Amino acid sequence: MNTEPPVFSVRELWKVFGPKADRVPKDPALAALGPAELRRRTGCTAAVRDVSFDVRKGEVFVVMGLSGSGKSTLVRCLTRLIEPTSGSIAMDGEDVLSMDTARLRELRRHRAAMVFQHFGLLPHRSVIDNVAYGLEIQGVPRAERRERAAEFVTKVGLEGMEHRRPEQLSGGQQQRVGLARALAVDPEVLLFDEPFSALDPLIRRDMQEEVVRLHGEEGRTMVFITHDLGEALKLGDRIALMRDGRIVQLGTPEEIVGAPADDYVRDFVRDVPREQVMTVRTAMRPAEAAEADSGPALGPDATVHEAIEAVVRSGGTARVVENGRCVGVVGHADLLGVVAGLAPRKEAA
Amino acid sequence: MSISTATTGSGSTAGTEAGAPPLRTRPRDALARHRTALVAGAALLALLLGTLLLGGGTWPARLAVDLSGPLGHASDWIIDNRDSHPLFLYFFGHISNAVVLSVRAVYLVLLAAGWAGVTTAAGLVAWRVAGIRPALTAVAAFAVCGLLGMWVPTMQTLALMAVAVTASVLLGALLGLAAGLSDRVHRALRPVLDTMQVLPAFAYLLPVVLVFGIGVPAAVLATVVYAAPPMARLTALGLRGADAGVMEAAASLGATGRQRLLTARLPLARKELLLGVNQSIMMALSMAVIASVIGAGGLGDRVYQALASVDVGAALAAGVPVVLLAVVLDRVTAAAGERIGAGPSRRTGRGWAVAAAGTVAVAVVGRYTGRLSWPDAWTVDIAASVNRVVDWMTAHLYSGVPVVGGTADWAARFTTWILDPVRDGLQWLPWWTVLLLVAVLAQLIGTWRTALTAVLAMAAIGVLGKWEPALDTLSQVLAAVAVTLLAGVATGVAAARSPRLERLLRPVLDVFQTMPQFVYLIPVVALFGVGRAPAVAAAVVYALPAVVRITTQGMRAVDPVVMESSRSLGATGWQQLRQVQLPLARPALLLAVNQGVVLVLAVVIIGGLVGGGALGYDVVFGLAQGDLATGLVAGAAIVCLGLMLDRVTQPAGKETRDA
Amino acid sequence: MRSRTIAAAAAFGLLALTGCGAADMTKQSSPYADAHGAKTVTLSVQSWVGAQANAAVAQYLLNHELGYRVDTVQIDEVPAWDALSQGRVDAILEDWGHPEQEQRYVADKKTIAPGGELGVTGHIGWFVPKYFADTNPDVTDWKNLDKYADRLRTAESGGKGQLLDGSPSYVTNDKALVKNLGLDYQVVFSGSEAAQITQIKQFAKEKKPFLTYWYKPQWLFEQVPMTEVKLPAYEEGCDADPEKVACAYPHTPLRKFLNARFADAGGPAAEFLKNFHWTTGDQNEVALMIADQKLSPEQAAERWAKKNESTWRAWLPK
Repeated sequence: MNTEPPVFSVRELWKVFGPKADRVPKDPALAALGPAELRRRTGCTAAVRDVSFDVRKGEVFVVMGLSGSGKSTLVRCLTRLIEPTSGSIAMDGEDVLSMDTARLRELRRHRAAMVFQHFGLLPHRSVIDNVAYGLEIQGVPRAERRERAAEFVTKVGLEGMEHRRPEQLSGGQQQRVGLARALAVDPEVLLFDEPFSALDPLIRRDMQEEVVRLHGEEGRTMVFITHDLGEALKLGDRIALMRDGRIVQLGTPEEIVGAPADDYVRDFVRDVPREQVMTVRTAMRPAEAAEADSGPALGPDATVHEAIEAVVRSGGTARVVENGRCVGVVGHADLLGVVAGLAPRKEAA
Repeated sequence: MSISTATTGSGSTAGTEAGAPPLRTRPRDALARHRTALVAGAALLALLLGTLLLGGGTWPARLAVDLSGPLGHASDWIIDNRDSHPLFLYFFGHISNAVVLSVRAVYLVLLAAGWAGVTTAAGLVAWRVAGIRPALTAVAAFAVCGLLGMWVPTMQTLALMAVAVTASVLLGALLGLAAGLSDRVHRALRPVLDTMQVLPAFAYLLPVVLVFGIGVPAAVLATVVYAAPPMARLTALGLRGADAGVMEAAASLGATGRQRLLTARLPLARKELLLGVNQSIMMALSMAVIASVIGAGGLGDRVYQALASVDVGAALAAGVPVVLLAVVLDRVTAAAGERIGAGPSRRTGRGWAVAAAGTVAVAVVGRYTGRLSWPDAWTVDIAASVNRVVDWMTAHLYSGVPVVGGTADWAARFTTWILDPVRDGLQWLPWWTVLLLVAVLAQLIGTWRTALTAVLAMAAIGVLGKWEPALDTLSQVLAAVAVTLLAGVATGVAAARSPRLERLLRPVLDVFQTMPQFVYLIPVVALFGVGRAPAVAAAVVYALPAVVRITTQGMRAVDPVVMESSRSLGATGWQQLRQVQLPLARPALLLAVNQGVVLVLAVVIIGGLVGGGALGYDVVFGLAQGDLATGLVAGAAIVCLGLMLDRVTQPAGKETRDA
Repeated sequence: MRSRTIAAAAAFGLLALTGCGAADMTKQSSPYADAHGAKTVTLSVQSWVGAQANAAVAQYLLNHELGYRVDTVQIDEVPAWDALSQGRVDAILEDWGHPEQEQRYVADKKTIAPGGELGVTGHIGWFVPKYFADTNPDVTDWKNLDKYADRLRTAESGGKGQLLDGSPSYVTNDKALVKNLGLDYQVVFSGSEAAQITQIKQFAKEKKPFLTYWYKPQWLFEQVPMTEVKLPAYEEGCDADPEKVACAYPHTPLRKFLNARFADAGGPAAEFLKNFHWTTGDQNEVALMIADQKLSPEQAAERWAKKNESTWRAWLPK
């Protein structure tokens, strides 16, 4: 588990749109209202309601929810592209909401860069100048920023297309430009706002793998907004699942799938292939007698899917080994129980 | 396409609007029916009350204000203080000087480059920004200007245009910038721009002349005031329409407000900006001729002087260069607009260097071979042959044509059977019923707000004491609009169904749209005699092209899927036209009506020059006699009439003028 | 984009450079912007051809005999007074009498100086074509006009006879005249002289009767002979109140006016323009060449000057 200090620390964050929005979080009676009732009573819409979470250094933090759940508003609040109504946001311990314009600009220029659903590229500029745009804004001299931009153009696999215009690129290529633009400023955190939802499924998969690769190479902290559960499970170290502006569950993919907090989440994850998400750590039981010494060894983070393969091959149980010590075993019944969605019989020690 | 938008700046909506016909839902339909009933009820009630309380007759004198006193005083004050008051010495005087100096500078440069240099420069610039075809057109156009013996006047007009267009574009861009960035400025500026859009060019002349006197400064300033609004409007539109996603991306990268404006918002609006430049140029060019009345000189002056000696041929020889300049400038700026962002970004410095070097080389060669001014031997005199053709035409068409009768007979019948009854009818109506009529019409077509504006505008005419002549003018406008729409929509539908006809029509429409109206005044009088009929004819000639264009575009833009499905159901061509195309092109047709009205009104003052009388004559009179009171009041009445007609014909929920 | 701008600026700059040494070239062509050089004269030309004839001859002689550059500007009469007072125009060669303007600029502000008489006498009146007057001789008395109202009717004049009036810039009392003389006529304003002439020519082609406001001297009489209709005789002051006029127009000796500063310091040009004095016949001859034979004003002036050297010799400053 990631124990690094938080990059973003969000507490009791509210964003309410509408007239006299700031009274809503203050008044507990109003704050307790449902969306429809709130709208009727005050004409306001609460896009983000009382949200708190930490984003830890180096992790991929996914905010997931259906459209209208407030996730895009939430990510914009982090760098105050949308001004929050109340609550607090700290970045590396520094209060974001009390920053003055210059400090905030500094944050946006160097510490957090964003990738957008509709790319947000400048249509009148070539690929290379789009990638260099963030550096241009920082005041990096032309030659230097072009050189650095060229590096990132290569990194996202667009070499040879430096002088094309965005409209001459496919959607996937355009988003690579958007990604390169964000990477070029070397930010501490990358913010993704549904970056791949406008892309074709195949290209989307490529791009997701690109993100996984980049994260693997650089270990950069990422906040990733998506409405696609598969994408969330694939990329996220932790997932915050939002509904009507609230976080209904925050946890690892395994926790979300394995232990849905309520019916909404359960319904949401019902069709997820559980064996792909759940790990043997959840599925295992304490070893009995000889089981601790025989059978193939698996790491505790191996998926159930992997364990099934090992168990089928060996014909018996598999050991779960962590730091050279056997912490438990999984057998047919344990694994099938996970796949069938039955609650694990007992927690591992 | 942009020529069609030259005079009003809203023609460009035609395509897009027609492309998205409003899909009315059932509840709105019900609402609309409900509203019609409501309006009818209110109108009936008002009719009843009016009859009981107000009685009949024309606008009551006690509700009118006589402005001739104060306006006369203002005029006297300006004349008395023009050479002494600091406002004139330190403000207007400097403006005037700056204008004279810059026009002179440009003019001298043009003359120094010589005809070969200017023609080469035009060709090369057109080639760089627009491609090879516009370049050839440009070269040919300048050559024709020389051939017609109009080189020097063309250069004079070009110099004036260059200064006026630069000033309009700068001024317009600044205003547009303010309106594009600030909602408050936008709200304040929009009604002003809307109003200026319906102002006939002539109406600008009088106040400007009063302050600056006759001459180039007044002409340039009138042109700037006339040509800046479309630039302002389009700049604001472009800035406001900037892709929100791109703007957000710029903000997310920490761009300052200035950076966002310069690197994102402005470049994103570049198409609108170029369209604005295009419109400004077209408006300035049409004004350049009208401004000859106040001493603009150049081509306009040649047209105007030819008009004085009743020489159609000479007027045409000076009018053709105006048309050519318009066509070239339009094509080049339009092509430049389309080229923007298309094709890979490439280094263009070398091309420009070649162009510049070529121009300089040609200019220097021209200079040392002593061929700066267009050789006299190379001119063609078209005046005599044109006059013969016109004489023949008017002699044979004027009267005594078997069966159909001559044009003079048509004019007489048109006057007696259409213009007279409409005018007399309008003037017979009790004044308040006219207001009521306006309110009901505006309400049915537009919204409560447009109805209110329309009624206020109409009432203002009464207050100005111009009720009777305004109704006379209105009758002419209505007749002209009716003829324009009948002919224009029929032609437009035909052109939409036959691409060949459209291709044939295009140059004709271009010519009629850009030809200075002074050129065809004499033939119009020779055909229709003096009076209101020729005024209507001149208006129809002027307004027809835009109506044809908008109709064609609207019909073309009808969703091909719908057309295909109706064809698949076995609809005949006529059924298709009637049941599918015309209903779906409704927004475009409404726009055509609106444009027709605005354009016809723009020619009302010109109509005053051929016997149209009424408000148009009053403005001409005011200009000719330096009579501010008469001219300004009549001009204001025309503006009110324009506002009223514009609002009455402006469809609800459609920002027809805001594109 | 930036390189493009720079290139354009460079092109313009180079173009400007080639223009720097080109002063002599501009002298050859018509000077455009208002240039008050030492030897430039600006003349106001009103829209009618008689005025064009004056200006053309003055321009030709100033240019060829005295070496001046001459600008002409076409302006309506009243605005021309204003332009004259401001010095945008140096001289008006043919003024038909504008007492109000004269009071303001000559008497009060002293920015305009009288320049003597042109030698031509102008007269405004009502005219019918000669072919009509020949067959109906009594039409030339205003008292009989009502008898012919029917034949002079047009669509535009409605049920009444039509009195065709001219450009709005011209002096006219016709509306008041028709009313005060109790005539069954409707004044139809043609809005411009061009329209009026075109209409008169069309009528003449068909030998149709018409009644029009017109003035002498005018070249159109050569093409369409017209006879004046006698109105109640003109007496001094009978046209003082424009609302109550019921008499004919006066015979006006046409006068010249000069900008006051130009009159003082204009040198030979000012003196020449003060001396300029010719006859109705002379003016008509030049006007006809311009309007009828479609010669350019310059060519017409040249032809006239070749033939009438003795006349214009006297105008040149001694």
